[in-house]
Order: sequence, then C-alpha cells, then structure tokens
Amino acid sequence: MEAFKDKFKEEAKELIAELEHMVLKLEGNRANKSIVEEVFRVMHSLKGGSAMFGFSLIDKFTHLLENIYDKIRTGEYQVTDDILDITLNAVDHLRNLIEETPDTVAQLEKENNKFIEQIEIVLSKGALKSDDFKNNSDDDKKVSNHTKTYFVHFEPSSDFFQDGSNPLFLIDDICQLGETLIVPVYSKIPKYEKINPIDCYISWNLLVATDDDINAIMDVFIFTNKRSKVEVAKLSDKNLLAEKSHRKILLETLLKNHADLFEKLSIVVPDLEKAQNGNEQNTQRQRVQSSHSVEQTIASIRVSSEKLDNLINWVSELVTIQAQLSLYTQQNQHIGLAPISEEIEKITRRLRDDVFSIRLIPVSNMLTRFQRLVRELSHELDKDIVFESRGTETELDKNIIEMLADPVMHIIRNSIDHGIEESTEERVKKGKPAKGKILFNAYYSGTNVYIQIIDDGKGIDAEKGIDAEKVRAKAIEKELISPESEISRKELFDFLFLPGFSMAKVVTNLSGRGVGMDVVKRKIADLRGQVEIDSKLGFGTTVTIKLPLTLSIIDGLLVKVDNINMVIPLSSVHKVYEYEHTKIEKAINNLILADDERVPILNLRKYFNMTSPPPPLERVITIEYGDYYIGFTVDEIIGEYQAVLKPLGSAFKEQDFFPGATILGDGTVALVLDSNKLIELFAKTEVKIGN
Amino acid sequence: MKEKHKGTDTVSKDIQTYLSFRLGDEEFATNVQKVLNILELKPITKVPHSPEYMCGVINLRGNVLPVVDMRVKFGMEKIEATPDTCIIVLNVDISGEEVMLGILVDSVSEVLEIDEMLVEPSPSIGTRYKAEFIKGMWRQGEDAFIMLLNIDLIFSSNEVVLLQTKTEEAGEVEEEE
Amino acid sequence: MEKKILIVDDSESIREVVSFTLENAGHEVVKAIDGQDALTYLDGRKYDLIITDLHMPNLNGIELIKRVRTIEEYKFIPILFLTTESQTAKKMEAKEAGATGWIVKPFVPEKLLEAIKKVVR
Repeated sequence: MEAFKDKFKEEAKELIAELEHMVLKLEGNRANKSIVEEVFRVMHSLKGGSAMFGFSLIDKFTHLLENIYDKIRTGEYQVTDDILDITLNAVDHLRNLIEETPDTVAQLEKENNKFIEQIEIVLSKGALKSDDFKNNSDDDKKVSNHTKTYFVHFEPSSDFFQDGSNPLFLIDDICQLGETLIVPVYSKIPKYEKINPIDCYISWNLLVATDDDINAIMDVFIFTNKRSKVEVAKLSDKNLLAEKSHRKILLETLLKNHADLFEKLSIVVPDLEKAQNGNEQNTQRQRVQSSHSVEQTIASIRVSSEKLDNLINWVSELVTIQAQLSLYTQQNQHIGLAPISEEIEKITRRLRDDVFSIRLIPVSNMLTRFQRLVRELSHELDKDIVFESRGTETELDKNIIEMLADPVMHIIRNSIDHGIEESTEERVKKGKPAKGKILFNAYYSGTNVYIQIIDDGKGIDAEKGIDAEKVRAKAIEKELISPESEISRKELFDFLFLPGFSMAKVVTNLSGRGVGMDVVKRKIADLRGQVEIDSKLGFGTTVTIKLPLTLSIIDGLLVKVDNINMVIPLSSVHKVYEYEHTKIEKAINNLILADDERVPILNLRKYFNMTSPPPPLERVITIEYGDYYIGFTVDEIIGEYQAVLKPLGSAFKEQDFFPGATILGDGTVALVLDSNKLIELFAKTEVKIGN
Repeated sequence: MKEKHKGTDTVSKDIQTYLSFRLGDEEFATNVQKVLNILELKPITKVPHSPEYMCGVINLRGNVLPVVDMRVKFGMEKIEATPDTCIIVLNVDISGEEVMLGILVDSVSEVLEIDEMLVEPSPSIGTRYKAEFIKGMWRQGEDAFIMLLNIDLIFSSNEVVLLQTKTEEAGEVEEEE
Repeated sequence: MEKKILIVDDSESIREVVSFTLENAGHEVVKAIDGQDALTYLDGRKYDLIITDLHMPNLNGIELIKRVRTIEEYKFIPILFLTTESQTAKKMEAKEAGATGWIVKPFVPEKLLEAIKKVVR
C-alpha cells in the first residue's frame, strides 16, 4: 500500500497543479462549461484516490469542493470571485494535506475543519452573486452545451466474442449518453444450419442525442478490436430525437439500411433542423472514420526523476569513455577500428542530445505561480494589472526552471511594486492603457535561452532625475565611483544589482526586505546565467535573463596553455589563426590584425601568470562577444571535445571563469573556460573594447 | 601499496584511530574516519587565479578532486615533490556539507590507536598554530609530539595559513580579524 | 452485482490494492501470484472476470490469456490486463491473445471499477 501511496502522492501533486491552472483559466472565462467540467473531473479524481490511499482529510475536503463545482455545473451556483479565491486557497491547503505525516495529522485536521467552515460560510452567503460574471459568448460557441445528434455504425468482427467482449454492453453504454434510436442489422446472419454460435453476425446503426462531445462516444469503443468497424459522425448540432415525428422519419431511413446511410440521413436533416425552434446556424457535418482503437493515445509516460538522473549520469559516463576510445583509436592504428569509433562517436552525440532534452520542459510550467502572484499583488496594492506571456513553449532544463522561479518572482514583484504606476489616472494621463501589463517573454538565441520580464510602468530614469541621482549618490557613498565621474546608462543599471541599491522609496511588505536584485543576480549566476536591466523613463522596464541551455555537457575546443588543458565552448568560437609569438608580444595596444580586422587580444598566458616559455608559433582563437570579437592566445589547439562538465568544488567557488572541469580521454583533468566571464573581467581591467 | 583504512570498531569510546603524516619536520594526524583514500602523487592540474594553498585538481575515478597544499596551509614553503609525497583523500564537513578533497603531504607515517584520555591539550600561547585547529597533542616517545588536527575547522576557514599572529603567540588577547 | 474475480499479479501490493477495492465494492476475490499459479485456480470453478498483469515469472500474462482461451469453461470470460504505459503495441498483443480490455497503472479505485463495468454486467 505504501508504494502505491507514494505513487498517488505524485499523481495528486499533478492533479493539484492542474486544478490551479484550470481555476486561473476559469477566472478569465467564467461561462466556459468545459473548464468547469475539467475542474470537477480533477476534484473527482483527487477524491477517489485520496479515499483509497488513506488521505481522509483530502477526501473530506475535496468532497465539499466537488459539491460546489457540481452546483456550478448545473447552474445552481455562479462562478464568483469568492469561489475562485476559495478554490485557490484550497489548492494551497491541498498541497499541505498531501504531505500529511503522523505528526502533522492533528494540526492538519484542525486547519481542515477551519477551512471547511469558511467554505460553508461563503456558500451560505449565497453563491448566486453575479457581480463580475461576464458572459463570454465567444467561448460559449466553442463549447455548446446543446444536445447534438450523432450517427454511429458499429459492426463487430465475426470473432468479436472470442476475447470475452459483449457488443450489447457497448450499445448499453451509448444509451447512457442520451436518447437513442437503435436499429440492429440482421442481414449477415446465415441460414440456420450454417450458423456458428460463437460468431457475431449482427451490426448496428444508431443515432444518439447527447450533450457530450464525440469523444464520449469514442470512449465507449475503447477496447474494441481492430477488425471491427466503428464509425461515428455528427449528424446535427441539434437534438433530432426530441420530437416524435422526427424520430419516425429518421427511423424509416435507418431501417432501410442503405450502403451510404449517413448520406441518406444527412439529406433529411436540414428540414428537421429548420423545423426546430431557434435559428442556430447549421454547422458542418464532419465524417469521422474510426475503425480502429478509439482511445486517445497519451504520448507521454511518467518517469521518476531518479531514473532520469541515473540515465543522464550513465550517458555522461558514456561520453567520457567514448572520448577515451577516440583517443585510443587515434594513437593506435588498428584497421577497422576508426570507422567503428567514429560511428560510436556519432551515436553517443545523438544519444546525449536526446537524453538531455528529456529534462527540458516548457517554461509554461512556471507560469501558474506568476499568474497567481500578479493576481494577489494587484489585489493587495489595488493596481489593475494584466499578466501576459509569449514564447512559453520555449524549453529549459527542469532544474534550471525550478531554480529560476524565485528570482523571476522577485523581479515581477519589483515591477508590480515599483514599476506600474500607482493609479489608473496616472497611466491614462500618459496615454497608456488603464491596465498595467507585465509581459513574460521567452526565446532562444544561439545556445542560450532568454527570459524577459517587461513592464510598461514608470521606468527608471537613467539620464537625470530622481532615480539617476539616487543611484549616483549611493554609488559615491559606497565609494564605488568618484564624485566627478559620470556613469553610463548601462553602468547605472548594473549598479542596481549591488546590495543596498534598492529602488524602494518605502519598504513595503513585499519588496525591499533585504532580498534585493543582488540576490537575484547571484541566483542566476549560480545557473551560469546573466541578468540585465534596461529601462526607458515613462515607458517601462525590461529585465533580461540569459541562460545556457543545459548545465552538463559542453561542445568545446580543447586547447593547451602552458601545459594546462582547457576547453573553450565551441558556440562562442569564431575563427582560429596562427600567429608568431613575437608579433603577439609586439602588438600595439594589444590589437592584432586578423582577416583585415583589428582584434584585441587576451593573452591567456599573461592573464593566468604562466611562466614557462611560450612556443614560437601561437594560436589565436577569436571569440564572439556581443558585437565584437576578442582573440584568445593559446599554445596549441588539440581539437573538438565533448566536455562532460564536472564541478570544481566549493574550494574554487571564488573564481568565475572556470565553471568546471572535465576528464580527458587519458585521465587528466582539463579546465572548462567560460569565455564570456573572462572577457568581462578583462574588459573591466584593461583595454576598452570597440572601434 | 597504500590501502584504504576504515574507522575501527573501538572497544572504549575513548580510543580513536588516527592517521599521521609529516609536513616539514612536524607530525600531524587526522581521525581515520575522515580518510577515504591515500593516493600516490599524480599529475595535478593547476587552476589559474586560485588561492595560494590550492595545488589544483586531480581526476579521482571520474570526479574532479581539489587538492590542498598542506604545507602552504601551515605556513611552510612549497617544496619539490619526493617519492614519498602523496595525497590523502578526505571527507570533510564544511558548514554542514560533506566535501571530498585531497591534501598534499610530504609523507604518510602510520596509523595510531590513541586514547583520548591521554591526549594533552594544545597550549593557547607560545605555539605556532592557532589553538582552535588543533584538537590536542599526542606524546610520542621522549619529546616528540603529534598534533591532532580538527580537520573540519581547518577547511572551513578561509584563512590561508593557520599561524598565530605575533601578538597571540605572546599571549595577549587579540580580536579575530 | 457481486462477481467472482480472479486477480493475477506477482506484486503483492497490487494484489492487495485490487482485492481491497473489489472487496469493498462487494465482490469476491481470488488471488494468484503468477500465470502458473493462476492456472491452478482455473480448474472449472466459475469466475466472472480475470484481471491479470502482463509481466510475471513462471508464465507471463500474454501466455496466460492464450491458455485461458483454450479452456472450455473460460472461452468467453472477460479478461482485463494491467499495463503500466499507454503502449499501443502491448495492448494490441494482449488483445490478439484474447484479452477483452485493459486498465492503465497506476489507477484509482474509480478507474478499476469503471473498467470492470465495461466488460462485466
């Protein structure tokens, strides 16, 4: 039972998340019946499972919620703000309940009872309040809860009984869906002497009038074998079985059992429909052929994180040892070994790409909590704010997504608190829409993922004005700049990331608690990412987070500098040149000529204080950095290398430019270089980059 | 061949097993429970811009292991490696986290059974090293001492060397810097 | 609607969970630990339904289903099999072997009873 309990816990967590998502959707679409159905279905599943696995508190609780939503389904209750609030609070409460342990049971039970009381109070207040109840008629059209009429042709295979199936059960099930008109077809029954009792000779033509959609009918045939024929088609968007006279006409047609029965039925439909009250449009009658299994194949399976981590570890090990194989192959000329080794390298690369992409999930997974945050904060601060998102199908490693949630929440909090204007009047005066907007935008560029939080609020004044002055003053106070120096826009924004530079005028309950942008920057740096602010006074602020796609394997260029092996990420490598050492030494202003372009050099030997004599002929690797190129000088280039990134350990936490190391084929350690970081530090201390 | 030593089952909880090693002309020892492995010296990859006391990193069964130069940590000058130089792989507790690291020592001496009751406290003045890093002194022979190390504290500290300042040596009360 | 149901699964926790659910719903449950064991219970005794896992030692589910269909008394008995993923191939194989329908693991009691209702009345 225990193992099952854990499995249920996982399922429950997913259900609760789905519930949350649905409730937020419902808020924007209160008349949408299908969403209410979903919510109801989720609660129902939760209730069932919790009963089975001993989560009695959840059982009691969801029972009550289920009642509420049942009443909403039947129209007795309306979807009100109160109900939505309660349901969202219920989501949080459910999350607590699912973590029930013997010690917390008593406490949880108390909370549970309190909650139930609250719900009952709200219910008794009469959920019939229809305040912001908007009739979103667009959605209504999509989900008509009108009764539609479907045609079904069911022809079991002759061996239908042999797997224990009974066609009458299926007919019964269809009858459960609504009114039916059923005509069995006996034409295939042979003469008495020839009858084989275990064969099925009967087929059925029927009409069913139901509120459900076509899937409900398909579901009935979910176990039906492939050799049987099942055809389901919508005959009309109206209930053609309501009137006795209509039924008679349709029955006559059915009894004739034409070959093209559906066509023949379709002919009489328009007249029947016209005869019905109401002038709803005639929608197309689609023919849905389905003679095979009618289940909706779920294209995904649930895998435990542990199994996935193991899988990823094994693939990483494979990559490492494959490197050894390649090295061995190079050093030992065995006939036939090279092509095999190459093939293994190709396959390993693809395996690596596929397995690592398993952990990639779309950022849309994060959005629910942001939506809730915006909702709660805008209520609390009495600001009218709408939350939008773009590019949510962009995928990120699951671990990265989880670690990103907090920093992004903080950024959003800032935008809402400081960014969006205090009142709608202020906004309208400026010609902005009354509602403030927070846009969450995600996209790929190169091997990075960008996440932007864009608000259309007040913006930060980087030129002059209160904001710039405040930052300048603080910077001078902290002795970061001298009183005379000017700071550029970018520098000003960068200052905002240092501790103590909060833009808060008043420390509110929400921000300015000492958890500032410096923490955000650090958390993002932990993910080997970068964050930047840009803003236009009066128009809004954009915070951009840049992250590498995966944490663990890097395609790199293996080089040697003073006998130390280093790996430079291939994505930033532009070109490679040979250069005489003397020319490098003599380079004026640290600039060299590469392909007729003047390129600044970062002399790695010098930068890393390496003392051994350099080789006469060095290599220069030009690295992309924004719009510019910087040349790194190295002794030797060994070749391309797939580096499985291993952490250096906390002892090396202080430095930034070696995010990790990798084990080479010969067992030695190579350091992985973060070229961006290195260039940043270099730029700060030495040459100004640019023309 | 150097082998792995495990913590022994002690009869009385006062008797602990220690591994002693040599740095310069001093002997130190660490509780054997912290020791995972003893390795012969292998090529160490230096990491540029790392603290003085870090030798660099080595490959230990597919993982990257940082190696600390214990001589530097104890304020001695670096020397050339000898055939006896080796790396002791330790499992250290740094702020609640278990971290694996290696220490470079001149040589490994022996495994000792030490009765905690007979360990003498390290004097707070007049010694070269800060008292909090030394658990105590174990007498060996006539006037030879082995310094038992508080290995977790040593690596929790960011200090490069663990020498007492001149004023501490002289016994004056000094504030931690 | 009390039925007599034979559950075949080498996992004790599954056997327990299924029999618990079914017994609560008023049915009579007989438990077997694998295909071989199941055959010993299929000695002519009347059952209304067989629920079996597919992966078991000593005679897996598919083989069991095939065998069951050769026994006169159980030629048309409804058989449901438990499957852990929605893999069409496995489902097809089991259907071809003679299974009536399936239940996807993990399941809640509702789903189990629903599936049973589809094939036994």
